[in-house]
Amino acid sequence: MSNAETTRSARKAPKTWSQLSAAGVRRKPSEYEVVTHNLIYHMDKSPTPFELAASAPLNAWYLRYREGSTFRVDDWNGFRDPHRLTYHSYVSQQNQREIHLDAIVDRFEAGGDRPPLSADWVAVLERVYLTSRYSSHVLQMAAMYLAQLSPSSYVANCAEFQAGDEMRRIQRSAYRAKSLSLQFGEQLADTQATRRIWEDDEAWQPLRKVLEELLIAYDLGEAFAALNLVVKPLHDAFFINVLGVVAQAEDDEELALMLDDFRLDSDRNNDWSKALVAYAVSQRPENRDVLAGWVEKWRPQTEAAIEAASAMLADRWPADRGDMGELVAETYEALLSDCGLLPTQAV
Amino acid sequence: MPQLRRSDWYDIARDMNWNLRYVSHEQAFPPEIVGPMGDTEPATWWKWDEPYKLSYREYVYNQVDKDAGVAAVGAAIARSNLFDQLDEGWKGAIKAHFGAVTVSEGQSTLAESRMGRFGLAAAWRNMALYGALDEMRHVQIQLKVAHSLLEKDPQFDWAHKAYHTGNWAIIAAMSHNDELFLGSDVISTAIQLTFTFETGFTNLQFIGMAADAMELGDVEFGALISSIQTDEARHAQQGEPTLKLLLETGQKDLAQRLIDVSFWRAWHLFATLTGPSLDYWTPLEHRAMSFKEFMEEWIIRQFMDQLEDLGLEKPWYWDQFLDELDWYHHSEHAGIWYFRNTVWWNPDAGVSDSEREWLEAKYPGWTEKFGTLWDTIGESVRADKVDATFGKTLPILCNTCHLPVFKIPGTTSDCEPRQSVHEERTYTFCSEPCQWIFDQSPQRYVGTKTLIDRLTMGDIQPPTIEGILEYMGITPDIAGDDAAKYRWATERQPQLAAGAAA
Repeated sequence: MSNAETTRSARKAPKTWSQLSAAGVRRKPSEYEVVTHNLIYHMDKSPTPFELAASAPLNAWYLRYREGSTFRVDDWNGFRDPHRLTYHSYVSQQNQREIHLDAIVDRFEAGGDRPPLSADWVAVLERVYLTSRYSSHVLQMAAMYLAQLSPSSYVANCAEFQAGDEMRRIQRSAYRAKSLSLQFGEQLADTQATRRIWEDDEAWQPLRKVLEELLIAYDLGEAFAALNLVVKPLHDAFFINVLGVVAQAEDDEELALMLDDFRLDSDRNNDWSKALVAYAVSQRPENRDVLAGWVEKWRPQTEAAIEAASAMLADRWPADRGDMGELVAETYEALLSDCGLLPTQAV
Repeated sequence: MPQLRRSDWYDIARDMNWNLRYVSHEQAFPPEIVGPMGDTEPATWWKWDEPYKLSYREYVYNQVDKDAGVAAVGAAIARSNLFDQLDEGWKGAIKAHFGAVTVSEGQSTLAESRMGRFGLAAAWRNMALYGALDEMRHVQIQLKVAHSLLEKDPQFDWAHKAYHTGNWAIIAAMSHNDELFLGSDVISTAIQLTFTFETGFTNLQFIGMAADAMELGDVEFGALISSIQTDEARHAQQGEPTLKLLLETGQKDLAQRLIDVSFWRAWHLFATLTGPSLDYWTPLEHRAMSFKEFMEEWIIRQFMDQLEDLGLEKPWYWDQFLDELDWYHHSEHAGIWYFRNTVWWNPDAGVSDSEREWLEAKYPGWTEKFGTLWDTIGESVRADKVDATFGKTLPILCNTCHLPVFKIPGTTSDCEPRQSVHEERTYTFCSEPCQWIFDQSPQRYVGTKTLIDRLTMGDIQPPTIEGILEYMGITPDIAGDDAAKYRWATERQPQLAAGAAA
């Protein structure tokens, strides 16, 4: 081979996917981009997303709720997860975190340093923490919906991992339910009994209503905003932050430590929500009002629902921690502020 | 380690079903997305029971371990020149695989996620979540390997690009995927994707190709797809409990129809992809079994046993399927080779003297049916008329499977394409089952277009060879050619070979 040929073939060897080069990524792409870029080829595909009749139910659904959403940008593949998670990095980091949770469980099962839990605290756990399996499962379902409707694989993967995080905390709660039941009574591990609390307890009903309605928020923009900018942040502010403070005050350090760990998942999910808002608004400023509109629709009823649920912990809240509602409000307002979605931030 | 076993708490974590009160069941589980529940009460589905139990904690632990295994093999390969030593025909098989399969797995992620939302039991939704994560793994580990091969060969770009094109083979794959899972309700998806496709057919590609890969020393590809198959085997188990519930709730006819539709669609796609890979593109000395033998083991024996154990029957077109088993993929292989400049890999003709002997042994009558065709092509090559061995006129494409109707006279008694008229448009089909699929549910397919329809109806502009190649995404640097540089022809009569391979 002549030198000229060597030079030509060296120049011709592609550095990365043609799709990634065409997207204007000039630097060497990261492994995250190589395995995540532009996999949802049917977004905006003409004439229909799927090779079926235009009126086939799934074509109609995607054209209406994904392509037809008012939450849109020209290029969804410009979005990046701030944590650049790949499947491998997600399972690796969560495996380490699960080892950490096992160590917490081991420590308390060894028994040496666990103060005895009071029966009335266990009753609170049953009503609040164990029953939150149901609310978390709805969040898992809603994240799965968002994943399969996502306009880009960069967005879909974030939603998949979020759903995985919900399953993670549900299973730890199930473990605790069984563990508590061995000492405090079988009903703690009886799903019928827990389901009755979820379905009948008055303090849960406003939140259950919000969550059931969240399931039918089918528009892409509404599904994202309702789940990630309203319901989940407020839910987690209560079931992680508030419950964590109370658990600490009740000397239930096992729960407090677990919740500290789940907060890392919740914070990471807030990070991609914030990044997606920033990206969508940077690409199309009208998206700010689109999202703010959905937040405005969902916020009042969700805040009211969390306030109703707060009644379950009101008499346990340590007086020296200020106002319980303030903690939820501050946590949530900080998220909205980071997103530029507070009413006072309207431009 | 925590003292409680998984079995102590698992049921608590999956019995998360409840009665909707503030929205209706139809609102939260719309029939067009959920699929045919029949007259069953929602709570009937709560007893959905996955055969394989797994906790999140076990999942991440196992998957980290599996990824480490694949990565270790990849790292070792990267330091060697193993890829360069691989047979060109085999490289064609893995490029075809990467293009047709990789991004398709990303679509399974979406279908699994849809089951993770709309599945009718929390246990089902949880299994689907693992399935969604698994499929994300499969797209990512395959993209990573294909990307690492880009510098050696630009055809690997199609591992990522293929589904962004209107290539005929990809339209066929999309149409199959959209029918079975991406454009389907979740009950149908559980049957068609996780039962027919993953419990049945993916074994062919993943176990068949892995066996050949290990045999010929492509350890990286073998390790890659074997590792994928271990995930598939787990999440494929969503099919059986769903099928059992359909049967229990009196919907056997529906279940049978879903099997009949998806089995035929999967058969044609896999025959076109896996058939030539195993019987023509894998070097002769490394073929573990013929495609037909794999079909007999994995589909006719194992999958059909499972189907019958569940109380379902063989598809109604079983005799036609058995008939096609002897000729269909040979025809598709010849068609792919003939139109090799429309694909992103170099297909191996695979018809040297020794390969013909093998084909005749595995498929008695092969020589009579296909030998003459390849004799003629070989003569053209030796007469320095390679140009004459490229397809010039466009083949008929089937309006159901979108695959070419390459029926070579003498290979089948059923040579005439079939046609149906819906809403004043005539649709053409390669076979009775493809026609049946369309005709039994025309509202699901009317208006869809094959590549040729797109050309004749003005969707492809300009309507020239260049226009079609551009629509198909084919550029000169990746357009396929004979993998063996025609040696299979020239070496039969080397005295006539001069210039033939130019």
